[in-house]
Amino acid sequence: MNRKTRYYLVAGLALAALAFIATACGGDDDNGGGGAGGGNNDKPLVIARDMDINSMDPSRAYCDTCQIYLTATYDTLIGLDPKDNKTFIPRVAEKWEGNADRTQYTFTLNKKANFADGTPLTSADVKWTFERLANVKGSAAYFMDGITAIETPDPQTVIVKLAASDSSFLAKVNASYAGIINSKLASANGATAAKDADTTDKAEAWFLKNSAGGGPYTLANYTEGAEIRLARNDKYWGDKPALKEVIIKQVKDAVTQRQQLETGDADIAMQIDPDTAKKISNKSVTIKEVPSFNFVYIALSPGAKDNKIDLNPKIREAVRSALDYDGIIQVTLGGGGKKQAAPIPNGFLGTKNLQLPSRDVAKAKQLLKDGGQPNGFTIDAMYPNVNVYGVDFNTMMQKIQSDLSEIGIKLNLQPVEFTVWVAKIRGDGIPLTAVYFAPDHTDPIQYVQYFGMVPGAPWAGRAGGANTPLLNQAEVDLSAKALASSSDAEREKLYESIGNEMIKDAIILPIVNPNLVLAYRSELEGMHYSACCNLEVARLKRK
Amino acid sequence: MTIEVRELDTGLDFGRTVPRVPAWLTLPVGVGAAIIIVWVAVAITVSWWAPYEPLATVGTRLTSPTWRHLAGTDALGRDVLTRTLYGTRSSLPIAAIVIAVAVIIGCVVGAVAGMFGGWVDSLLMRLSDITLAFPPILLAMTVTASLGPGLRNALFAMVVVWWPVYARLLRAQVMAVKEQDHVTAATSMGAGQGRILIRHVLPLAMTPILVNATMDFGQVVLLAASLSFIGLGALPPSPEWGSMISEGSVRFYEWWIAAAPGVAILTVVLGFNFLGDGVRDFLDPRTRRR
Repeated sequence: MNRKTRYYLVAGLALAALAFIATACGGDDDNGGGGAGGGNNDKPLVIARDMDINSMDPSRAYCDTCQIYLTATYDTLIGLDPKDNKTFIPRVAEKWEGNADRTQYTFTLNKKANFADGTPLTSADVKWTFERLANVKGSAAYFMDGITAIETPDPQTVIVKLAASDSSFLAKVNASYAGIINSKLASANGATAAKDADTTDKAEAWFLKNSAGGGPYTLANYTEGAEIRLARNDKYWGDKPALKEVIIKQVKDAVTQRQQLETGDADIAMQIDPDTAKKISNKSVTIKEVPSFNFVYIALSPGAKDNKIDLNPKIREAVRSALDYDGIIQVTLGGGGKKQAAPIPNGFLGTKNLQLPSRDVAKAKQLLKDGGQPNGFTIDAMYPNVNVYGVDFNTMMQKIQSDLSEIGIKLNLQPVEFTVWVAKIRGDGIPLTAVYFAPDHTDPIQYVQYFGMVPGAPWAGRAGGANTPLLNQAEVDLSAKALASSSDAEREKLYESIGNEMIKDAIILPIVNPNLVLAYRSELEGMHYSACCNLEVARLKRK
Repeated sequence: MTIEVRELDTGLDFGRTVPRVPAWLTLPVGVGAAIIIVWVAVAITVSWWAPYEPLATVGTRLTSPTWRHLAGTDALGRDVLTRTLYGTRSSLPIAAIVIAVAVIIGCVVGAVAGMFGGWVDSLLMRLSDITLAFPPILLAMTVTASLGPGLRNALFAMVVVWWPVYARLLRAQVMAVKEQDHVTAATSMGAGQGRILIRHVLPLAMTPILVNATMDFGQVVLLAASLSFIGLGALPPSPEWGSMISEGSVRFYEWWIAAAPGVAILTVVLGFNFLGDGVRDFLDPRTRRR
């Protein structure tokens, strides 16, 4: 390239850059009204979403998008009332009951229930589905832990017997991963529920192209990284869904999601953050901020291999008191979130009366002194470089870094890829880290089993170090009682006590419970956020 | 050769009375030099006069440019202009170190390969071929990803990417120069290989290296910013142009967060490209445009 050409090239680039900046300045105009706007349910519904699909096989899937897809294509035994996100409602099972100590559950199936191909849905399918979920050993396999027997005395009755009390079993059966699979159809395509299913089951690839459920929709097409296309199951035995076709389209970022929503290219944008939502003034778009059950937390692991600081309870409490929670929520979500007391999200049983954290720098400094680190210390903080629920982790961690520096704690921030983070946290552990959590089902026990200092809980192991998990006997006893209780009032009290114990542990420090932004075209009805299933597309229709 | 060209120039301009500007000092070169001088001055003096601290929250978050904050504030309420100015303190030294180390390694490898030839040459050149076979950004990403993020690792990765360019360049020059008469003369007078290389070959072979190094300076600034952009370079909260643009990229409607560091990168790269042209014309009149 000779010099003259290069001048023009460089000058052109400079002009292009200026032009870009100029368009960006003026890019705030309302360009709405582009959608057809007709109230026609035959027009496909387009959901813009950054998808995180790990598998389309109900026994292997474990992701937020999976919950939406599986809920649409597979019926669960029981459903969740979208009005309160708590009450279970009949679905495949018209009746169900647990025994007094919650070790046995009996489900009576609706005779009308069938699969999309017309095969009746029977107790054999339920047994097969549950056994396959356990034996394929996917991430949700733990839902079926403790089942000693599944009895099917007749095609409409399923009796599940458990080794130990489990008051959360109904919540697990309600979760989308426990959606009932057409066992004949799936078996014919390589699926098995046998004990060795984790090696002998060959159906995962088949599930990428087909659904085998009895839900209101069936899978019409799945293209990895592009779209999931759902077609209405016209033979659905329950309430017929209104929309003929639903497309979940891969759209990575909030900005593009917003643009597609405003122009009408998408009917629902699922990951718009509160900051971006505030900028939308388009009348054909409805924005609602609702409380979610997700939360972002930082975690301290005194037992991490690289940790050189004695992170005793006083020091951990000092960290909690040094954080400017309102400031963090402001900086990350423009105020679109709530503080959270214990690692059980606001709205779950037993969280009503827990004491929310607040900032007290003087107290934090005193605690540091009492904990034997009067001058503070330096600590490594590796965290996944992600943006979830509108919270940009880099922004959040820089704010936390500046908060902690006020009491003399210096954080070495190390943002890494999520996979790198996972390997590190499962291996050596990380002294101070940040991550997020979304519920698997609607029972608070999952938080004790994941965040509690109880045997087998991942964070008990990470906090204490590989061979010496940190344990809190009170949590062990209280959770055993909660699992055996059949009274919601009693469970609420027990979970409140557990919540207080977990606050005392000060291993998991919840930072924010972000609000969820429901952003959708105004002609859409039935938009909601479901605790079990994220979004139930079958409840949506156009005006 | 140099003398011939100079005579030619003089012949063309004969009779002029205006004071002569050297032919290599064109307007773009002047602009380039001015830009670079400004940025270097900023890097050295910024802490004396910058309006704010680069890491401190000094205003309402996400305010668009105002007189108080000429380039607005970011998500944490830090002044974007201050951070951009402080960004020179990572970008420019990094580029300087990468270029210096790459030139040194490249020159040693290239000189050895060119001087000794044979299997040494084949070995070293295949090594550089292998490195050059990867797209630079991909190779740098691989290296940093495996070492872990951080400016030091990014620096190492960029050296790994850059040295083969200079090795090949110098090797070609050495091979050409060592056939020239004055080298043969020196050899016949009994000079050793080392002396020939240092006294008689390198001085003549260095010109393209210097030109290339100036041109590459901007490219290194760009690559360092790219690595930081994808999270493999500077660690938060340090003000680095690439990571600032990355912070701005998720906030499309707060355009100013990315705009200021973007303009900074643009001007630095532009400046070094212009300056590189000038350096080439100055050192290597053969390629000068007449």
